[in-house]
Amino acid sequence: MRVETIRAAGGRPAHIRHDDLISAKGVSVVMAKQLVLQNIDLSVPKGSFVSLIGPSGCGKSTLLKVLAGLVNPTSGSVSIAGLSPVEAARKRMIGLVFQDANLLPWKNAVDNASMLLSIADKSLSRAELRGRGQEMLELVGLGDSAHKRPHELSGGMRQRVAIARALALDPAVLLMDEPFGALDAITRDAMGQSLLEIWQRTGKTIVLVTHSIDEAIHLSRHVHVLGIKPGRITESLDIGLPYPRDLTVTEDPEFVRLVVQLRTMLRASHQPGDAS
Amino acid sequence: MSDQPVTNFSESRPESRFASSWGAATGSWLPAVILLLATIVVWEAVVRIFAISAFIIPAPSEIAQSLVAQWGTLMQATLVTAGEILFGFLVSVVVGIAIALVIVRFDWLGRALYPLVVLFQNVPKVALAPIFILWFGYGLAPKIGLILVIAFFPVTLSMLAGMQSVDRSLLSLMNSVGASRTQILFRIRVPHSLPNLMAGTKIAATLSVIGAIVGEFAGASDGLGYVIQFASTQLDTALVFAALLLVSVLGIAFYYAAEILERIVVPWAPKFSQS
Repeated sequence: MRVETIRAAGGRPAHIRHDDLISAKGVSVVMAKQLVLQNIDLSVPKGSFVSLIGPSGCGKSTLLKVLAGLVNPTSGSVSIAGLSPVEAARKRMIGLVFQDANLLPWKNAVDNASMLLSIADKSLSRAELRGRGQEMLELVGLGDSAHKRPHELSGGMRQRVAIARALALDPAVLLMDEPFGALDAITRDAMGQSLLEIWQRTGKTIVLVTHSIDEAIHLSRHVHVLGIKPGRITESLDIGLPYPRDLTVTEDPEFVRLVVQLRTMLRASHQPGDAS
Repeated sequence: MSDQPVTNFSESRPESRFASSWGAATGSWLPAVILLLATIVVWEAVVRIFAISAFIIPAPSEIAQSLVAQWGTLMQATLVTAGEILFGFLVSVVVGIAIALVIVRFDWLGRALYPLVVLFQNVPKVALAPIFILWFGYGLAPKIGLILVIAFFPVTLSMLAGMQSVDRSLLSLMNSVGASRTQILFRIRVPHSLPNLMAGTKIAATLSVIGAIVGEFAGASDGLGYVIQFASTQLDTALVFAALLLVSVLGIAFYYAAEILERIVVPWAPKFSQS
């Protein structure tokens, strides 16, 4: 029986489905004697757009760091295409974007876009790096700002460069921690729409941590709601709205219904759970 | 994947404040210049009205006369002191940077070195001057040594602060692609620390002037510090003030040289461009 199960799964542990790029199983994280994440099961299908939403302190950023290999889970396992997160990161499979663009102020946009790639792949020449950086800037809509320094760019433009920098690695998955959290509402909408177009053009798998209900529904295919004390996935919601989506989707009755549903789920997630 | 860019929403660029800075700068100097001129006039008037003896407080006109009369000697002394300051300053910057790099790059060495550096900072270094004369004689070496012990610390401290204030998520990015400690040090930490380092360098430039003068007080046969000591034993207070004036000019010159260097080295520093 056991042998057959393993064969049936193609030699992989049975819980990993073939179309899952990321699979977290029973992940718990203890930091400073606090249970930050409890028994997280998460699977992210290849090519999908998944959002993690939840109140402050629910550990959604920590979960993203676990997926990125920046935090080791206290128990449980994470696999990214069969590799550990650290192995996957070394193979340039993970692109990271944080709330702060963290560009190097002494480098221009194109050199910032190729900065991580230059470390990940030492065989590339300066010209190849520049070419790749320029290509990625064009993808994020900043093709004509290649020679501008970060202080000459607006907050939204800087975040575009940060996305270009992550995409330059040609990662399988883009992990984004509140990438638009510091932007104004209008820029934020525009960035979300751009991200959708980049996603559809490149076919990357995206995991987005967000505070925004609208953003989560506008962009993602699956939304996971995290609750506090301890951080755990309380509910999951599939967003059935068809792609390609644009901002008019926010006027769709189905969108409005999903907002109400997600808001109800989020309200429930603010209640501390049973830590046992 | 097509070559077309995705939607490019126009986002407003932050405005540069560079344009008006020159006018603002000259405007801000004007009150200081007026106050300085007024002080000189009042000084001259008080000395003349109360007939204060020239060896207690010389009038500005007497200082100017002394400056002209002793111009050759004073210029020779200025050149010697300027040489000491420049050399001592450069040595301080190089040593200060080296210590900071060692502390950041090698954990255990840093843990050993840093407390000692701070401890050493509490030694009154002016008091080291006689010892340096004893060890190195009356030439250039004791002055360089004294400037070094006085001026390296702000360089080390400011560079350390800059290197250690790199955003953690930037370090996460670097770690995720497997960057080595040395790569993070030279590609991120060192350039990131340059604005801080330049601030420390400006302090070091000012301290270098003090170091050179103290070194010359303790024992020298040339330089502005020597002129000040010699003139005061002769009760030639006007010459003392003339030499002091030149010391101040040297100090200002070195400070602004460091500031020009800063603009060249770190054009991206927040001071010159809003970020």
